[in-house]
Amino acid sequence: MRRFSIRSIFISLIVSVMIVLLLQIFLQFDLVTSSAGSTVLNINANSTHSANAVTSVVTYFRGFDTLGEVTILFLSIFGISLGLDGYRDKFNIFAYENSLLKIAVDTLFPLIVLFGVYVIVHGHLSPGGGFQGGVIIASAFLLMFLAKSNDFSLKHNILELAESLSGAGFILLGVLSILILNRFLGNFLPLGEVGKLFSGGVIPLIYIFVSIKVSAEITSLVEYFIRIKDVK
Amino acid sequence: MLNSLNQTPFLHGVITIGSFIILMIGLIGVLTKRNLFKIFLSFAIIETSLFLYFIGMHFEVGKTSPIVSSGVKTFSPNMTDPIPQAMILTTIVIGIAVLSLGLSFIINYFKLTNNMRVDEMNELGEAK
Repeated sequence: MRRFSIRSIFISLIVSVMIVLLLQIFLQFDLVTSSAGSTVLNINANSTHSANAVTSVVTYFRGFDTLGEVTILFLSIFGISLGLDGYRDKFNIFAYENSLLKIAVDTLFPLIVLFGVYVIVHGHLSPGGGFQGGVIIASAFLLMFLAKSNDFSLKHNILELAESLSGAGFILLGVLSILILNRFLGNFLPLGEVGKLFSGGVIPLIYIFVSIKVSAEITSLVEYFIRIKDVK
Repeated sequence: MLNSLNQTPFLHGVITIGSFIILMIGLIGVLTKRNLFKIFLSFAIIETSLFLYFIGMHFEVGKTSPIVSSGVKTFSPNMTDPIPQAMILTTIVIGIAVLSLGLSFIINYFKLTNNMRVDEMNELGEAK
C-alpha cells in the first residue's frame, strides 16, 4: 500500500482550500448588458452587409489583426521548415497498408475539398470561414498522406506560389482600399443584399485569400510532421 | 424542473467550474510529466480551458448566434457578442502556430541529444 506523508496531505489541503477561495471569486459575476459587441451588431447591419457578424468582425473591424495573425502562422511554418531541414528523402512514418482506405480515398478526397470550398465561400453567410475551410482542405491532404504513404508527395512550388500570391492578394486589397477610400482594408466594392452569395463587398475576397494561405500552410505543416524519418 | 437549470447564472457557474477542472488537468500534466511532448500537449489542454471560459462566459440563455439566417431576419441586441468569438478564432490559430513550432523544437532536440525527458537535460552543464 502506498504511504502518504504528512507533508503531501498538508500541501493538498492548502491547495484545495485555495481553489475553493479562488472559485468563490470567479463565481461572482454580473451580466454585462451593453458591450462593444452590441455596438458592432448595430453598425454591422448598415456598414458591411455580411450575414455573419463574426466574419465581419474578423475580416472588417479587425482586418489588420487578421493580417498579423496570418503572418504569425506563416512565421511559425517558416521556423518549422528551417528546423526540420526539408521534406526530401524522408519517409512517411504513418504508413497504413489498408486497401479499403486506399480505394476510398480517391472518392473522398474531392468531396472533402469541395466541402472545404463550400465552407470558405459561404463564410459570410453561415458558420465557418477561411480558417475553418482551410483546415478542412488540409485534412483532405492528411487523408491522402495516410492512405498513399510514400507514393503521394506535394508539389511544393505550386504550394509556395499559392501561399505567396494569396498573402500578396490580401495586402493588395488593403492597398487598393488606401487608394480608393483612404483607409486600410476598407470596403470599396458594392455591398449587395444581406444573405446573398455576392454580398459583403470585400469580406468574401479577404476570406478566400486567407483560406488559400491557411490551407497551403497547414498542408505543408502536415507534411513536415508526417514525413520525418530519414532514409537510411 | 429542468427549466430552473436553464438559467444564465447556473450555466455560467457550470462553465466556470468545468473550465477550471480542465485548467487543473493541464496544470497537473505540465507539473508532473517528464516527457516534453506531454508537457506541450498539456499546454494545449490549458489553452482549451481558456477558450471554453472565454466563449462560455459570453453566452446567455435566449440569445441567438450572431448570424442572420432564415429564422432571424435582422441584427438585434438579442444576439450573442460576436467579438469574443472572433478573438478566440484568432487565438486558436495562434495556438496551433505556437504549438507546432514548439513540437518541431522538441523533435530537433531529440535528434540532437537522443533525450526527451526534462529531468535528464544537462546541456548547460549544471553541476552534479
